[in-house]
Amino acid sequence: MPAPKDHRKLGEPPLLEAHDVSIRFGGVQALSEVAFAVHESEIVGILGPNGAGKTTFFNCVSGFYAPNEGRIELHGEDVTALRPDERAQRGLGRTFQQVGLVKSFTVLENLIVAQHKSVKYGVLSGMFGMPWTLREERVLREKAMVVLDFMGLMAVKDAPVQGLPYGTLKMCETAAVIATDPEILMLDEPLAGTGPEEGEAFCQRLKDMRRDLGISIVMIEHHVPLVLGTADYIYVLNFGALLAQGRPAAIRKNEAVAVAYMGEGATALA
Amino acid sequence: MSIIDELDPDELDPDELALADEHVITPTEAAEAAAWRPSPGGVAARIVVLVGLLLLVVAIPQIVPDIYTNVVSKAAIFGLVALSLNVIIGYTGQISLGHNAFVGVGAFGAGYALTKMDLPYAGALVVAALTGVVGALLIGVIALRLAGLYLALVTIAYAFLAQEVLFNLRSLTGGGAGQPAPRPSVFSSDVSYAYFCIAVLGVALAFDWRLTASKGGRAIQALRDDERVAASWGINVTSFKLLAFVISGIMAGIAGALFAGIEQLASRQDFPFLPLALTFLVMTVVGGAGNRWGVMQGGILFAILPTLLDRAHESFHFFPFTSVQVTWEPAIGALLLLLTLIFSPGGIAQQQRHLLNWLSFKRFNEPSHGGGISRGGMGARP
Repeated sequence: MPAPKDHRKLGEPPLLEAHDVSIRFGGVQALSEVAFAVHESEIVGILGPNGAGKTTFFNCVSGFYAPNEGRIELHGEDVTALRPDERAQRGLGRTFQQVGLVKSFTVLENLIVAQHKSVKYGVLSGMFGMPWTLREERVLREKAMVVLDFMGLMAVKDAPVQGLPYGTLKMCETAAVIATDPEILMLDEPLAGTGPEEGEAFCQRLKDMRRDLGISIVMIEHHVPLVLGTADYIYVLNFGALLAQGRPAAIRKNEAVAVAYMGEGATALA
Repeated sequence: MSIIDELDPDELDPDELALADEHVITPTEAAEAAAWRPSPGGVAARIVVLVGLLLLVVAIPQIVPDIYTNVVSKAAIFGLVALSLNVIIGYTGQISLGHNAFVGVGAFGAGYALTKMDLPYAGALVVAALTGVVGALLIGVIALRLAGLYLALVTIAYAFLAQEVLFNLRSLTGGGAGQPAPRPSVFSSDVSYAYFCIAVLGVALAFDWRLTASKGGRAIQALRDDERVAASWGINVTSFKLLAFVISGIMAGIAGALFAGIEQLASRQDFPFLPLALTFLVMTVVGGAGNRWGVMQGGILFAILPTLLDRAHESFHFFPFTSVQVTWEPAIGALLLLLTLIFSPGGIAQQQRHLLNWLSFKRFNEPSHGGGISRGGMGARP
């Protein structure tokens, strides 16, 4: 199998780009001039200690926070002023640090709602029960099953979301975002609450997804070795600013990153 | 905030989550339940019961004494109002204390269209529905900015606006004499009008069913649980919240038009904020917000309650019936509301869950959560 094309190296324009994003909450400078780019079928890792601003940055990119300065571009289009749902319509999918699922639905129902933007029938024809809407409902259901199967979640498909263990919920959440059919998948701590073996399997799945679906993945994760082993490119945030960026091999040896993570005197990660 | 949001993931234990409900359904149970199919005999039994219930509904306008035929119409209309309020309370997780205004404006709108504009009956129904749309957009736009108690206050404001201003517009309401609202000529007798109301309720139930099983209703329920998650899936929070209010407004407006047809007169004494708005709210919650069969029964119960009390007072000449007056209705409503909130938040629907399971071709003893709160019920959010 040929190695995946490295779009970053080829100098192609990125799919998603953040230009010098800054945001303040009262007197706290949560992010200052963070720049970041995601290329086609690339896995990008975002690292950083607690409180570094990773989730805040995600919220700026996905439209839940409006940055004070800077702009976000998706496919070269300035989306800084767009709402989260408009960005989602343009192919940006994200998960939440707290579980982002509809809690009163079953897992399968969640994956059906998540396909909202790909539903072709109109809201009205759905309400009047037009025959073509019934047909499409079946298709939605089948698609949801395919995603659940891919994520290895078939066993819990009929279970109500309430009551499932946290790790399973995080997997279901990722499955739901995949069901939205995103071009860029942004995962906020997808491995929280899961064991190490599950982490390996999950990262392998991300690579499969990138290969099979050609999507780009951005991942915030505290499990540093896994991120280093999975991502093609890594950004490290610290105190709301970009501390380092580069290929995993370079990040591994970066002294500043090691100090940020492990304290004074450290020279290399892992 | 749900339990899931509050706990540290590392300390999270599935058993702890179980505190919220009587029983947490395991994935195995859920899969088993989903795969379960009734035996041929079971299917036949269910069909027999369903057909029996349907025949009962069809027979009711014929078998009740003539003086109560209009109560049947009223029951169907209250069922429709409950479905309307259910879209806001059950599906959207918001609240409306102004449904007497929606219903009243619909009634006067229909009356005005019939007598002053000489529209055909279908046209009057459309006018009534449109008054619902306008009111719903008014409230809905505010609901985008407010939630919970504050929204409740705004809906009360709408109720009073209607009661004190709209219902006093002489040209619209005919003043104290009321606005005549003749029935459609085909359904001019009491019995046929009851059938007409039941048919409209049936259509509303079918509509409600398709709503929840399709894109729009799912989006509405998703944003009830979590607006951020809904938005991240590409659901336009603003439009779908407004859609929910508009659907509710249309149903309430049509219910108003039907209500005016009972006495063939819409008069402003029929739609007071007290107790009507509260009765509407209580019947939806007691019925089981989020469940269309539950709220419908809640509506029917509160429609016939005054008549039942009245009848008990007339027929039984011993305590406690000697002291039962129609004015006891609010007390009974309050008591039922308290009992519901304490013992079965899922209302009548939760009480009947085994029966409703069985009738929907599932197992009688389907594993289930503690009721409406957890499954398609009122969100526990403020």
